[in-house]
This record gives sequence, C-alpha cells and structure tokens, in this order.
Amino acid sequence: MMTQRTTDVGTGDGAILECRGIERRFGGIVAVTGVDLVIQPKEIFGLVGPNGSGKTTLTNAITGFYPPNTGTVRLAGNDITGTAPHKVAKLGVARTFQNLALFNGMSVLDNILLGRHIHMKQGVLRTALYWWVAQREEIENRKIVEEVIEFLQLESIRHELVDGLPIGLKKRVELARALVAEPQLLILDEPMAGMNQEEKGYMSRFILDARAERGVSVLLIEHHMDVIIGICDRMLALNYGEMIASGIPREVVKHPRVIEAYVGGTHG
Amino acid sequence: MFYRLSGVHHADYVSDTRIFKLPADRNLAAFIFLFGLVAPFIIPSLYLNSYILPWLIWTAAALGLNLVTGWAGQLHLGYAAVMAVGAYSAIHAARFGIPWEFALIIGGLSSSVIGSLFAFAALRVKGLYLALTTLAMQFVMDWVLTHSPAITGGSHASLQSPTLALLGQDITSDAGYYYVAFGWCVLVTIFMLNLKRTGLGRALVAVREKDFAAAILGVNSFYYKILAFATSSFIAGVSGALLIATFFFLAAPEQFSVNVSIQVLAMVIVGGLGSVIGSYFGVALILLVPGLVNGLVVAGSAGLGTQINVETLAHIPNAVYGALIVVVLLIEPLGLGKLYGNIRDYLMVWPFDQLRK
Repeated sequence: MMTQRTTDVGTGDGAILECRGIERRFGGIVAVTGVDLVIQPKEIFGLVGPNGSGKTTLTNAITGFYPPNTGTVRLAGNDITGTAPHKVAKLGVARTFQNLALFNGMSVLDNILLGRHIHMKQGVLRTALYWWVAQREEIENRKIVEEVIEFLQLESIRHELVDGLPIGLKKRVELARALVAEPQLLILDEPMAGMNQEEKGYMSRFILDARAERGVSVLLIEHHMDVIIGICDRMLALNYGEMIASGIPREVVKHPRVIEAYVGGTHG
Repeated sequence: MFYRLSGVHHADYVSDTRIFKLPADRNLAAFIFLFGLVAPFIIPSLYLNSYILPWLIWTAAALGLNLVTGWAGQLHLGYAAVMAVGAYSAIHAARFGIPWEFALIIGGLSSSVIGSLFAFAALRVKGLYLALTTLAMQFVMDWVLTHSPAITGGSHASLQSPTLALLGQDITSDAGYYYVAFGWCVLVTIFMLNLKRTGLGRALVAVREKDFAAAILGVNSFYYKILAFATSSFIAGVSGALLIATFFFLAAPEQFSVNVSIQVLAMVIVGGLGSVIGSYFGVALILLVPGLVNGLVVAGSAGLGTQINVETLAHIPNAVYGALIVVVLLIEPLGLGKLYGNIRDYLMVWPFDQLRK
C-alpha cells in the first residue's frame, strides 16, 4: 500500500539517524514495515501512533534489541543495523524506557553514574587499587554527573534509593542517566506517561534545554499531542506498523489518516 | 558506638566517596583492624586458630561468592568445587617446589579458569536452572576429585600440604597462620568495599537487576558475568588453598563436597546478599554457632545435673542453628548485614529519632 505523506522524509545527508525501509516481524505478525525515518542534528523528532502501532518496536530495531528483518539503520552515516545494544550505546545512542528501567536497588547517584559507563574504564585491578588508579576517574565522572543532577534538579534525592521515588522523579532520573552518557541521539520512550500537566511542562522544558545546552538530537515517543506540537520540529505518525504521515507537527496532526487512526473513521 | 549525628556534610567528592563516610564507622573499622592485629597477644591460640582463623578464611571465601551471587546475581551451587581446584592446584604447585606466593596465585588462576566454565552456563541459563547447572558441575568435580589419584590420591586419601612460607619466612607458628588468614581476609574485604564505589561494582549490579537496561547503557552483560565468575573463583581458589595450608594441613575431597557449597551459600544469604559486613556475620553464624550452642548445652546439662544422651546432644546444636537461620531470614530477608544496618541507623540518631516522626 502506498503511503500518503504531507511532506517527504528528508535526505540522509548529515543526518544523525537515518532509517530506510525498516521491517520487523514477530513470527507471522508484521510489527513495523517500510518505515523511513531521518533525524537531523539538534532536531526534536516526534513519533506518535496508537497503541501497538510499532513505535517501541521501531526503537528496539534502532537500538539493537530486535534487529530489523529488512532495512538499514545509519547513525551519523555509519551502518549500525543489527548491532548489539551495548555497542549501539557506545556509538552514542541513549534511551529511556516506557516502563522505566532504573536499577531499584541502587541510589539515584549510582543509577546516573552508570550512565557514564561507556566513558569509564572498569576492571578488577582498578577496583583493587582504587586509590591509585580509579579514584581520579570516579571523581571526574562524578563532576559530570553532578552537572546533570543540578540541571534536572535532583540534588535533594541523590543519595536516596530509586525504589521509593514517585514516578515523575523516576522518569527524571532516567532522563539524567541517559543525558550523562553524552549521546548524539537520545531516544525517549513516553517520558511523560502518567504525568500531570505541571510535570509535563517541566519535562518538556528539560528536553528543550537538553538540546539547547548539550546539542543532542531527540527521538521523542509520546501520546500527548500538545507536547508533540509544542516541542517537536518534525514528526512521524505510525499506524499498524506503517507510516501514515510525516512532517511538521501542526500539519501532520490535521492529516485525515492521523485523525482516523486516533479518533476513528471520518468517512460516512 | 554511642554517637550523635546531626547530618553528614561532605565538602568534596573525595570525602563523599570514602568507604566509611561517618567518623564513627571509620573509628569502629580502625578499632576492629587494630584488634585483629593484636589478637594473637590477647586471644589464647586454641581459640585463635580453631575459631577465628577459619572464620576469617571462610569470610574471604563467602565474600567471593557474594561477588557472584550478591553483586552479579548469579546463583552458584558449585563454589566448594572451585575452592577445591584452587586448593589442589596450589598444594601441588607448592609440593613441586614453587614458592608459596606463586603457588597461591596459580591456585587462584586455575580456579578462575574452571570457574569461568561455570560462567558459560550462566550465559545460557538463569535463576533456578543456573543453580541446578552449577550443582551438577559440583557433582562432576566431586567425581573427578575422588577418581583421580593423581590429584587427590583417591577417595580415602589425603594430600599433605608442605610448610607454608611467604616472603622467605617459614610460617609454622599459630600466630603466623593467623596473620596469613587475617591478611587475606583484609585484602578481600578492601576489594569488596571498593567494589561498592567503582564502575565495576555498578556494572555488576546493573547486570543483576535488569540486563536490558544494562545493555542500553553500554554494559556488556556477557563480559561482566564471566568477569564476576572469574574474580570470585580467584578468591575462592586462594581461600581454599589457605584453608588447607593454615587450618586443615591435609587436603581431602570431602572438605569441598556439595554440602560445603550449600553451606557457603547459606553463609552469604544469612549474612545478606551484597553486604560485606553481612558476610562476616553470616559466616560466624553458620560456622561458630553450632559449636557455641553445643558448649552451652553441655554446660547447661552439667549445671542442671541432668544427663543428656549423646545422640540428642549431637542434634540439638543443629536444630538450634537451623532455627536461627529461619528466624533471621524471617525478621530480615536481607540478612544479618541489613539487621546490623538497621540497628546502626537507629543508634545514629538516638534518642533524637523521635523528632523526625
């Protein structure tokens, strides 16, 4: 089926992320098919679609959890199709999860410090000889972590266990953990799910500031259309694993197929 | 222990990343360390070498198991087999004429190699399946040991450990043995305490808690599982070798049988998964309480003038310490380490804790 688009996807020249013809099947079920996605540097790109439309599957295809069956994923020009998740992370992709993936038994600080994993060395001897080998690096990375803690206003809870925090704060800790990795591309999977209007406002501000101050490109999956329209430069709408519209948010949300997917049939 | 705390304030990150952040903890640790140093002059050598020395070595061993089970979250029921590999390799190396320093390292390294084989099981299976796989490997190792006269001398034989000598000093005195055990236990403890504040420790905990979340942070869970098994096996191997060299003096396959594996796991779980101080308590409970209860029962029955028959006498300590394990785990599933932590936290602000409520 030919998909109808309001504007074209864009060229891959100089793009941070370029996905072409992504298809992912689970047995006989086609979760995502024929998806093209191009994110330019410092762009906030929205990804919307009803439940089960393949948003998270697409993210998992990009980050290597479920490599695509067909299609290519390029990160800043390099083919990363099917690369294992921990290697994708090293190449500069950080993400948060829809259902949170924090380490509940650790403090907020340790969780965020884990975000620095790819920038640090870990080893048995380094641990044994902490004072002479590891301490300096730990302190340097702690400083970077503290900058992000200050940026996201987490100072008062840095030594608390993640387990007991309210969900709004947990989402913020997860964002902090992703940000300290200094990624080129930040994938946020429903960072505002379950948040009230005020918390959504805070989170939107943090995402905009993260781009302004840290120059990250953002792939934002969200159900809140107000947020998408408010902060995204461009967006893509999926339904049943297929692209139904992409382009400027204000135009995409008026697209008949998007309205049909979200509120039901317009014909008749 | 009675001190007041009005808040911990650190002015720099170095002081915020210290092992013991509170002066009271620091002083307590220093006191215990100094006590450990002068213990041979205070404690009669009978108690020193038959209770404290095995307690220290088993603590080092339990900390090694805690690394793989408590930190990296991999159930391990073949730990005694790994200790056996280290013990036999080290003793054979020493008998061959290799200096003990190198013999111990050889023991640790060969344990690492065999222990990493366990890790390859851990890469494939998780949880109960891993427990069963490691248990099976323990049985395989038991069989190999009892059926290889070249290694052990056969099922009823024992292998004499040559005289321990470190840094050119022959160690034959009770105090000497004690200091070797004490030194090893301190080294392992420092390593484990450092693990709490370095990237390695964090990565291991990440693998334990959520491996997909660890992956997206760049943590290669395969690598860290193998590293955890290899490191813990090294500690197991050296501990096993020292146990023979300073305590048993004769190595026999029964010393590393499957019930020893289960006992070490019990030490770690009763002490608290992921707790360093808990391992000390856990080992004390499992290793020392049966003897203690035995002494109390004998003394009690003598005091009351009653005669308890030998069979009952033999079973009472086991029943009591079994009950103790159940009671501890019912009160605090995170073990004695957490129990200690709760009491410590309570005393830290006592009597002002009422103000917070």
